[in-house]
Amino acid sequence: MPLPRPLNISLAALALSVASGLFATSAQADTLRVGMSGGYFPFTFVEQDELKGFEVDVMNAVGELTGEDIEFVTASFSGLAGMLESGRIDTIANQITITPEREAKYAFTEPYVYDGAQVVVRAGNESIQGVEDLSGKSVAVNLGSNYEQLLQALPNADEIDIRTYESNIEQDVALGRVEAFVMDRVSATQVIKEKGLPLELAGQPFSTIENALPFRDDEAGREQRDRVDAALAELRESGELREISEKWFDTDITQP
Amino acid sequence: MLNLDYMWGLLPVLLRYLPLTLQMATIAMCFALILACLLAVVRVSKVPFFNGVALLFISFFRGTPLLVQLFLFYYGLPQLISALISITGVTAAVLGLTLHFSAYMAESIRAAIVGIDRSQTEAALSIGMTQSQLMRRIILPQATRVATPTLMNYFIDMIKATSLAFTLGVTELMGATQKEAAGSFLYLEAFLLVALIYWAVVEVLSWGQRRLEIYLNKAYQR
Amino acid sequence: MISLQGITKRFGDHTVFHDIDLSLSQGEIIVIIGPSGTGKSTLLRCINFLEKPDAGRLQVGDLSVDTQRASRADILALRRRTAFVFQNYGLFANKTALENISEGMIVVDKLPKAKAHARAREILQRIGLAEKADAYPASLSGGQQQRVGIGRAMAANADVILFDEPTSSLDPQWVEEVLSLMKQLAVERQTMIVVTHEMQFAREVADRVVFMDEGGIVEQAPPEELFTAPKDERTRHFLRKILAPMGQPVP
Repeated sequence: MPLPRPLNISLAALALSVASGLFATSAQADTLRVGMSGGYFPFTFVEQDELKGFEVDVMNAVGELTGEDIEFVTASFSGLAGMLESGRIDTIANQITITPEREAKYAFTEPYVYDGAQVVVRAGNESIQGVEDLSGKSVAVNLGSNYEQLLQALPNADEIDIRTYESNIEQDVALGRVEAFVMDRVSATQVIKEKGLPLELAGQPFSTIENALPFRDDEAGREQRDRVDAALAELRESGELREISEKWFDTDITQP
Repeated sequence: MLNLDYMWGLLPVLLRYLPLTLQMATIAMCFALILACLLAVVRVSKVPFFNGVALLFISFFRGTPLLVQLFLFYYGLPQLISALISITGVTAAVLGLTLHFSAYMAESIRAAIVGIDRSQTEAALSIGMTQSQLMRRIILPQATRVATPTLMNYFIDMIKATSLAFTLGVTELMGATQKEAAGSFLYLEAFLLVALIYWAVVEVLSWGQRRLEIYLNKAYQR
Repeated sequence: MISLQGITKRFGDHTVFHDIDLSLSQGEIIVIIGPSGTGKSTLLRCINFLEKPDAGRLQVGDLSVDTQRASRADILALRRRTAFVFQNYGLFANKTALENISEGMIVVDKLPKAKAHARAREILQRIGLAEKADAYPASLSGGQQQRVGIGRAMAANADVILFDEPTSSLDPQWVEEVLSLMKQLAVERQTMIVVTHEMQFAREVADRVVFMDEGGIVEQAPPEELFTAPKDERTRHFLRKILAPMGQPVP
């Protein structure tokens, strides 16, 4: 059965309009492609279709200094590592914590955020005051984050019921589906303050974490890394890095 | 209570991503239909060698999760074949949806073909039609009618499966919702809104499906 | 002129019939009778190559085919020259009466659609279904469907029309209209081979009646001769069994 003509034409137009998106413009020398999830408040998130956050401001400031165009690419957190490795993005600005495994694989910049892993519970939950109380409890962490490894390294790791989440980790603790989640202290504080979810910090941070930007560990990647590193140092020097931090957190999280 | 103002403000934002979702699904559906018909015909006519290839293809793409296939195409293969780096997330998603769903659709088209009464084949051959004329003019049009409800189900499924494209960096309807929800923490509102959008789209399609079925059934009214 | 020479058909180890010779001339009408399971239908299907014979030659007009060396083109040509009318009608369910009749002219004979439709309308007129041109098979009675089936065979302009028990599936009330259409074709001297249990039709219409039994042709003769004075005991036995209950004269 031949298609009616108008349908035929509109199908062709449809095919064309998508075909134009089929082949990516290959990486341009003066563009830095930055991957992020867009779903990690207040580091990277979207409001009314506009990408915002601490990471966005930092990377734009870096771009000002290096003269590169910054192209943000958002994807599910679980897809970001694949995008970096397959060369579709140049780095990930999503509070990536430096770990020995990751250091072996990527070329990291110097840390630009210093933070601690924080246990967060539903407001009013007195039974958890720190990591030692997590035995026998269900604890949520984000898929692909390194908090699972931090929990596994605890002496009572065997007794903790660790659940890995793709997203909506705060929501499930607020709803009482899991008893706690582990996240970096800075964003946990922020979530509680700004979004009015019934959550509270449980005890002190239990591990120091240093966040940095990973690049592919090859010649081109290390070159980019060095350029960005120099820019970060300059931003730190000029106080701009601190200003960005204070804008989002009312405190300077960029110092150890 | 629901923050209706927020939902109202978010609606036009999310609707901007609906065309991409529908385009990916529609194009993937067109390619998947063609591929599924080929696979089904190869399977039914038992073309040597190609039948084996079709079996292997169907087995793999039905036997592995779509997400795994998408990751393999988009992240895995480019590490082996560097030329594949130039495919975009949209292409990879359309490719993945096409291959994955064609495997399922091939089986339902095959079942529809096999279900066509033998007398139709004999009648067509008796008047001197070739195998391919028989397929094109008699068997496939009749199988279309039988397979349409199932194929429409796959299309609806496919529209929803486009949400996986966000793992490939394609911000479509679902990805946009996730990011907006992360910014506002109004999860219930954001996801309720996106659910309503998907639902409305599927309702429109279901209406189209009913019209199509009436049209296809017109030869079978007593 | 149509001839079968040494046609043999086996299904596995079972030989349905062996070394069948049969010929008929232009305009001749042959009715094949015989007990069920003697391969009458299979013989018809072999002529149309719906079944591939295991030995023998087929000749239809100037087309002569060794069944063991038949090419695809030979088979298609043979089928176009031998139209087939099925017991269960076999109309294309997705096509109207008109399209059922015009389909072969368009697809196989490559006639322009308008011309094929015009011819199909003529045929519909002849089979008395002009007003059913746009009806689909599902909405037609059994008798009407079989008449369209015959119309489709007429459209092929074949050298011979093969009828495979054309009235066996019909409710009794539709049998007469189908038989009368076949008689009309007979009057026009359409060459045909009819497998049927309608003895009255055989008596009235056939130029020659062929009696088949146990995988072979037992005897063949003009109807007045075969029905009144069969030579073979098996023929006599069969005719008695089938004619007596119908109150028809037995040999």
